[in-house]
Amino acid sequence: MIRYSFFLAAALVVSGIAAAADRGDAELELAQAANAVQSAERDDAASYARPDLDEAHAMLGAAHDAFDSRDWTGSAMYAERAKLTGTLAGARSRQHRAEIATTEIERSVSTLRTQLGLPGDTP
Amino acid sequence: MIIHDSKRWLLCVAIAGALGACATVPPGPPSEVVRLQNELDHLHADVRIANNGGAELSAADAAVYALSRDARHLDRDTLQQQVYVADRLVRIAEASGLARFAEQRGMQLGAERERLLAQTDARTSRVVATTTTTTTERRPVRVVSAGEPIPRSRAELMAMQEQLTGMESRVDERGLVVRFGDYQFEPDQPVLTPPAEQSLDALARVLRSDADARIVVEGYGTAGDGTIALQRAHAVRDYLDARGVDMARIDARRTASPDGDRHVDVVIRTEFD
Repeated sequence: MIRYSFFLAAALVVSGIAAAADRGDAELELAQAANAVQSAERDDAASYARPDLDEAHAMLGAAHDAFDSRDWTGSAMYAERAKLTGTLAGARSRQHRAEIATTEIERSVSTLRTQLGLPGDTP
Repeated sequence: MIIHDSKRWLLCVAIAGALGACATVPPGPPSEVVRLQNELDHLHADVRIANNGGAELSAADAAVYALSRDARHLDRDTLQQQVYVADRLVRIAEASGLARFAEQRGMQLGAERERLLAQTDARTSRVVATTTTTTTERRPVRVVSAGEPIPRSRAELMAMQEQLTGMESRVDERGLVVRFGDYQFEPDQPVLTPPAEQSLDALARVLRSDADARIVVEGYGTAGDGTIALQRAHAVRDYLDARGVDMARIDARRTASPDGDRHVDVVIRTEFD
């Protein structure tokens, strides 16, 4: 009986941690979210991944609102969304910039091949 | 008649039993989870992403697996949050994989371009007057013919070039030319990107080891890009200066780009030129 009670208590504690966040958790998530959004802005996501960046900003705003209302769990959840969407914006910006740069190099390789009279295949 | 009714009765019981069995079979994962599993399957089927997804793809795998395992036990809010998280991780994996693929392809193409440029140089061995000037002098530079012994200056520049792995560089009539493309600056800004700064860190190490090498930083752009072309050249010069390369050795200038291509060339010449 004692053994079963122990497992029941442990299960309740674990589920409580998973379901609810305290102020510290919310602050940590907010800080990480703000960093992710700033990083995306530095990667010029405003030009290359505008919808994702806008969504990240919206989620960050919602996280701050929830925090101001002392809804730590809601704040942490919105902040987690902002962090991931900010990261996505940065990744998409990096992807588009790399693809543009590659296209530029591809074009110059094609020009050189033409000048040298070589077949047009590129690696 | 009785037999006929019995058959009908048995049929009804069988149908009811079958329906009951269906009702007791646990339902599969929610449709959102199935969608994520399908999207993840597509990522793994795409060799560009499967080979370059890295830690992001592993994180997406783990999230979707955990979600498919636990979805039926989660409350509605938690399920929505976990679906959102997994969805973003899948998309991050896709974008990261494609970005790495494009970067690797860019490096391959850059190497191909260098090889083609070397072929172009070999075909057009000639003596030309350099268009590169420093603030104090204008000197002719001789281009080496194919098969001719490499002069000391060129050999020294090529030795420098070997240390600049991962950078777009070439040795031509101007000297060792290290190119920083438009994409290595923030768009329409004279601000270096983190990868460009890493390249300049490596370049600064090489330049510090040869105090006699002279450096010209040329900012290229169209006629309307004059200011930003010069500002980018200054940004490169200032960064090298901050990394221990004396600014007095560096001449930064703006140069008209014949094809409108925006970039910055760092041109290095040795004392033997």
